[in-house]
Order: sequence, then C-alpha cells, then structure tokens
Amino acid sequence: MIPEIGYFSLVLAMALSLLLCIFPMWGAYTGNLRLMRAAPSLAVGQCLFVLVSFAILIYITLMDDFTVAYVAHHSSTSLPWYYKITSTWGGHEGAILLWLVMQSSWTALVAMMSNSLPWVLRARVLGVLGFLGVGFMLYTLWMSSPFERLLPYYPVEGRDLNPLLQDPGMIIHPPLLYMGYVGLSVSFSFAIAALLTGKLDNTWAKWSRPWTMVAWGFLTLGITIGSWWAYSELGWGGWWFWDPVENASLMPWLVATALLHSLASTEKRGIFKSWTVLLAITAFSLCLLGTFIVRSGIIVSVHAFATDPDRGLFILSFLLVVVGGSLALYAMRVSEVKSEGRYKLLSREVTLWANNIFLVVATLIVLLGTLLPMIHKELGLGSISIGVPFFNQMFAILIVPFALLLGIAPFLRWKQNKLPPLARKALGLVASALLLTAVWLYSSYDTVSALTFIATALAVWITLGALVDIFEKVTVEKQLLEGFKRQSLSYWAMILGHVGIAFVIAGVTLTSAYSVERSVSVKPGDIALLNEYQYRFEGVKEIRGPNYSGHAGVVTVLKDEQKVTELYAEKRLYDVGMQFMTEAAIDDGFFRDLYLALGEQLSNGYWSLRIYHKPYVRWMWLGGLLISFAGFLVVADRRYRKRTQNKKVDGVIA
Amino acid sequence: MNKKFLALIPFLIFMLLCVFLYQGLFGNPRELQTGRIGQAMPSFTLPDLMDESKQWKNTDLLGDVYLLNVWGTWCPTCIAELGYLEQLREQGIRIIGLYYEQAYDPDFGDHFDITALREEVKTMLNRAGDPYQFNILDLERTLALDLGVSGAPETFLVNKEGKILLHHTGDINPRVWRAKFAPIIQELSE
Repeated sequence: MIPEIGYFSLVLAMALSLLLCIFPMWGAYTGNLRLMRAAPSLAVGQCLFVLVSFAILIYITLMDDFTVAYVAHHSSTSLPWYYKITSTWGGHEGAILLWLVMQSSWTALVAMMSNSLPWVLRARVLGVLGFLGVGFMLYTLWMSSPFERLLPYYPVEGRDLNPLLQDPGMIIHPPLLYMGYVGLSVSFSFAIAALLTGKLDNTWAKWSRPWTMVAWGFLTLGITIGSWWAYSELGWGGWWFWDPVENASLMPWLVATALLHSLASTEKRGIFKSWTVLLAITAFSLCLLGTFIVRSGIIVSVHAFATDPDRGLFILSFLLVVVGGSLALYAMRVSEVKSEGRYKLLSREVTLWANNIFLVVATLIVLLGTLLPMIHKELGLGSISIGVPFFNQMFAILIVPFALLLGIAPFLRWKQNKLPPLARKALGLVASALLLTAVWLYSSYDTVSALTFIATALAVWITLGALVDIFEKVTVEKQLLEGFKRQSLSYWAMILGHVGIAFVIAGVTLTSAYSVERSVSVKPGDIALLNEYQYRFEGVKEIRGPNYSGHAGVVTVLKDEQKVTELYAEKRLYDVGMQFMTEAAIDDGFFRDLYLALGEQLSNGYWSLRIYHKPYVRWMWLGGLLISFAGFLVVADRRYRKRTQNKKVDGVIA
Repeated sequence: MNKKFLALIPFLIFMLLCVFLYQGLFGNPRELQTGRIGQAMPSFTLPDLMDESKQWKNTDLLGDVYLLNVWGTWCPTCIAELGYLEQLREQGIRIIGLYYEQAYDPDFGDHFDITALREEVKTMLNRAGDPYQFNILDLERTLALDLGVSGAPETFLVNKEGKILLHHTGDINPRVWRAKFAPIIQELSE
C-alpha cells in the first residue's frame, strides 16, 4: 500500500507540473495576470508531492520491504541504516527520483525567491522549469518507477548495495552533481524565458548569475568529491580516468565556467548577449546529453549502469524537444540582438572572450573524444578507442595559454588598458614565477622535465598574480583593514577561484610527475623502502564489519627511525554479493599521501603489498574546494543581498 | 541574412548529433569489429579446466570445425544458452569451452579455489546441459585477451585449418544460429 502512495504522489506532482508549464505560459502569452500568479503555488505544490514520494522510498528501504523490486535489488537487512538511506539513490530508478527531488526543490526555490521579478518573466521561468519537471516525472512514472513490486514472489533478503558505493564519498557525490545539473536548468530557464520575452537586456543576466554561481559551485564540489572517491575507493591511486561518465560531468562544468564569465560581461557591460544565452542553453543541454550517454548504454563505460534502449529512446526524445526546441528558438530570436559595449584589444572584455574560447575548445575536445568512437563506428569505419593519452595531451596544450591569461586577468580593467605598465608588471611576475618554481622544484627533485616545470611555473604565476593584485587593491586605502573591507565578495571569489585553479594545476602536475609506487611481497617483520619512508609489515589480522569480513594488513610507517603512523590496508569480502573490495589505507598530508593497498596472500606467510607515494595529490581536491567555495561566496555578495531586502520596492516598480 | 544563418548553426549541429545518437542507440556498443576475423587462432598452451595435468595447445584443435565458447558459471546468459548449445552438440557440432573466471583478478589476485570451481562447474553442467567436448581454463586471460574477448558469452567459429570465421558477442539462440552460424557451417560442409 505504502509504495503505491509514493507512486500516486508522483502522479499528483506531475499533474501540478503540467499545470505549471501550461497556465503561467499561456498567461504570459495573453497577458493574463491571474494565470501568471498561479505559478508560485503550483511550483511549491509539485515540490511537496515529490518530497512525499521520496520520503516514502526512504521509509520502505529502512523497513526492508523487499516486495519492492528497487529495495530488493539495492539494499539488504544487514546494511547499516545510513547506507540504506543512500541506497535510495544507488540505483538508476532511485537516482532519477533524487534528480526529481532536486529539480522540484530548485523550482520551488526559484518560485519563492523571485518576488521582485516582473510577472511575465517569472511566469515563463517557472513554466520552463515546470516543463522540465514534467519530462523527468513522466520518465520516472513510465520507464523507471522505483516503486515497482516483485509480487507474488519476492526475496526474503535483498541483494545489497554495491560495495563500491558503501563509502562516505559516494553518499554525497551524486546529490552534489545533481544539484549542479539541476541548478543549471535554472540558468537555462532564465535564458529561455528571456528569449521568449524578447528582452535580452542585462536584467536576465543579473538574475541568472547567482543561480548559475551556486549550480556551478555544487558541480565543482560534486566532481571534486567524485575524484576523491575514485582515489580512495578503487584501490590503485587513480583520480581521473577520462571515462565517459566523468566526461559527462566535466563538459557541463567547462561550459558553466565559460557561462559565468560571460554572464559577468553581459551584466556589467551589455556585451556577448547572444553568446551568453547560447552558453546557458548549452550548459544544461550537456547535462541532459551526459544523462543520455550514461543511461542509454550508447557508450561502454566502467560505470556499468543498468541500460535499456527504451529508456535511451525516451531521454533522446526529451533531449530533442528541449535542446532542439531551445536552439530553434535561439536561431529565431537572437539575430535581432545588438551588442552595446565597445572595447579595445587590451581590456577585460577581450580576456573574458579568450577565456570563453579556451573553455569551449576544451569542451569540444572532451565531447569529440567521448562521442567520436561511436560516430566512427556508425559511419562504418570500424571500432576505435580514444583513451587517456589523447585527453591528457590536448589538455596539456590548452592549459598553457589559458593559465598565462589567467595570471594577468585580475589586472585588466573594462574597456581599455595601457600597455607599458601592464607589460612591466607581467614581465616582473614571469621572472619571479620562474625563479620561485626553479627553487621549489630543484630543491625537492633531482630531475625536472620541461612540461613539469612549465605547468608548475604557470600555477605559481597565477598565484603570484592574484597576490600582487590583492596587495595593489588593498593598499589603495591608508588603513589596511579598510582596504580589505572595500573589496567586494565577488572580488574575493574571483581571486579564490583562480588560486583554486592554480592549486589544481600544481597538484595534477606534481602528482603525475613524481608519484612513485612499489609492489612488494612481505612477511611479518619485513621492511620496504620507498622514498624517505620505511614501511614495516606487522602482519595481517582478521576484521569483521556489519556486512563484510576480511583481512587488514597492518603496516607501521617510519621516517628516520621515528614512527609516523600505523596503517590498515583492508581486503573485504561482502557477505551478500560475495564481492571482494580493496580498502586502501591512506595517510594524508598537505605535501604527500602515503597510500597502501593489500594484495593477495602468497605462499609461506608472504603477502603482496602495493605502496604509493603521491606528492601534492591533495592539492587537486583542495583547489576544487576553493573553486566551489568561490561560487558560494559570490551569492553572499552585497549586491544580491541588497536586492532581497528591497524586494517590495522593486516589486512595485516592476 | 548572414547573421540569421550563423544563429542556426548550433541547431543544425545538434540535429546532426541526434542522428548519430539515435543510430548508436540501436547499435550494440559491445559489438566489436575485431581484426581477428580471417586470422589464425592465436597459439596457446593452457590447462584443462577439470584436470590441470592435461594441457591443450592450439594445434590440438585442428582438423575439425569447432565453436570456441567463452563462458563462466558467474554469467547468467552463459548458463541460459547451455541448453541450446547442448542441442547443437547432439546435431554434431563440436563445441569447446573457454572458461573465463571472473573472481580471479590476474593483476590483483585473491583466494582462488580450483576444486570448488570444478565442483560448481560440474553441478551447473549437470543441471543446465553440457555441450562441451572439454573446457580450457584461461585463468590469466591471455587467450581471451589475444582473441579480443570483451565479456561473456562470446563465441568464435573456427574452421579445420584453425582460421577464425566468426566472432559473436552475446548468447546463441535459434535465431542467431540460423542467421549467423548456420550459413557458414553449411558452406564449409559443402
């Protein structure tokens, strides 16, 4: 009975969503204010019913109701309660329901926070969001209901959650990514509403910007945590594989990054208007395309999700309507738009434009690399595979001009700049960046390859540029504290985001260049050496968890005869699925990670053990955290807060 | 006019992409057009699944047309096709199993109990049907790798001279047999 209520609740949500996409849209078209006014309550209503549905799925999972197919396939009685909750998005049907929860919550949030928006725009934004909601709800109800029953023959025990997903990183990774994807649907809706209204002025850019920023922050966080999860859970120290599923999340991120820079130009200077709209459409389209790639089985991926051509066909049709429709609308409307601002070659406008070019080229590389094997085959040219080396090489080439630009970007003003002072500053920075990098790398390592040096120097260059800029801006005031206060939160966000990128570049470069690993076979008491550390294998002890058993290799790590830490590298056998899992033991540090994975048992009491020394690997994720924090910081900026305070006044004017 | 056309470009690119995505949806991404067709069976020396003292070489298989069926007890589809394969055996088709063990990881191995596996295989073949003349155990997956095996079940059709004529991914059922295998076998026997 209860699962059926969950299903029915979703039916009601879809009915309300359907009304949400029809009435306000019609009202905006005919100028009927009463129809437009219905939008916010419909938006909140559909959200409530989706939440009820999701709560029911969580409830039946906690109650171990194995008559429901989804619960039987993704949970078990021995699963700890917190993993039972996360199992509600560990499978396809539940993941889509979680997406719906996010989608409807963002819709409701937009409805509640857009009081001061003109009604014609507000109704259209919510109408577009309602339409997207209907699409996803129809998909859930028709193709992938998590409330499907296994009656009359149901199992007494569930199949358990995939052990790979039983990890804290995996609990938050999908929700964060979905927050990002769904958040970009808000930017998309604003763009479509602006196109429908025919007013592509900077108002829509101003409104769209905080939503885009938050979505982008979540997306960054989701990708960062996904990479960290792969590193800590997959057991061989990798953190990015250029897998189609990872690419599916990277592409929207790249375009969203371009979008928020372009939105800034449109809001502040009234330029790149049509380009910004196109980016907003593209960013969300790539989220949908990513979902299609992942869920349709069109591309073979290590993330083996359940695939089904019917589902793929539905998503493709939805893609065709949403993306095809909006690009057609774009083609019809955008040729009327004129750019307003004027600017010289040496200006912030041009650097932002160049930033967009690089990011879009990077997106195209990822898109081509992901889809080319399939297109190649469909054209009858045979099977090819595009792997890690292709992406690595392309990105290594792209990052150089991109990072160079990033280093001087903060100094440039709008409209135009004078060359001589800028060139002096840039030369000084280049010299100091090269010097610092040389000191840093040659003092730590014997060999430094050209690429390692260049990439590290670029990271240093970006950081120095940011520091010098802060110094110059702050010392304008006599009082240092005043100088700090004078800078807007948006400014700090920009600095933070750029320094975050520097950390990512440095982390990726140094860990790729200087990671070392050793495979050893050891018996208790043996010592293995790697770099300056000694690893003493103490033996193996039995372990027992709530739903697994296994062995833990105990290793004492020593440096200069001093004990650094004791690590437990585990090998788990999960009871229900009889799956083996390697739980790596990691001693994390700011400058290096020590990473141990236990291998198989050999004869005569020997065990095989893999030891990795990974310098600066944490900088990547630190960079990711800084970048996402930057996204959230912008929203707290006074400009956006002030508007909510003056809501009433604005509303009257609007 | 020019500007209007420019604005239309994203739409056109997307539509083209959709055509490919639609085709891709009905193509099988796992269907690999391997370069193995028409080439000789790679050389190997591997133990028998049931008796490791017995070693099989590629040269032992020459002289008769045979099917090499990649399978494992862990693979439900493989079990499902055993019944039909047994019927084929009764019709005189020579089928050799290439046993692909999933639980054993060549790079990062684990407890692997060959006796338990043999028990399991025996029970399974008794229950679901035994089409095999014998089974080759490819624990390190070297032969599977040489053949370009991407999963199980997969079946290779090999002629008397040891040349690979067909590489089929997925299960063999009457429909697949009639469409893909039977014509070639017909031709060979003429």
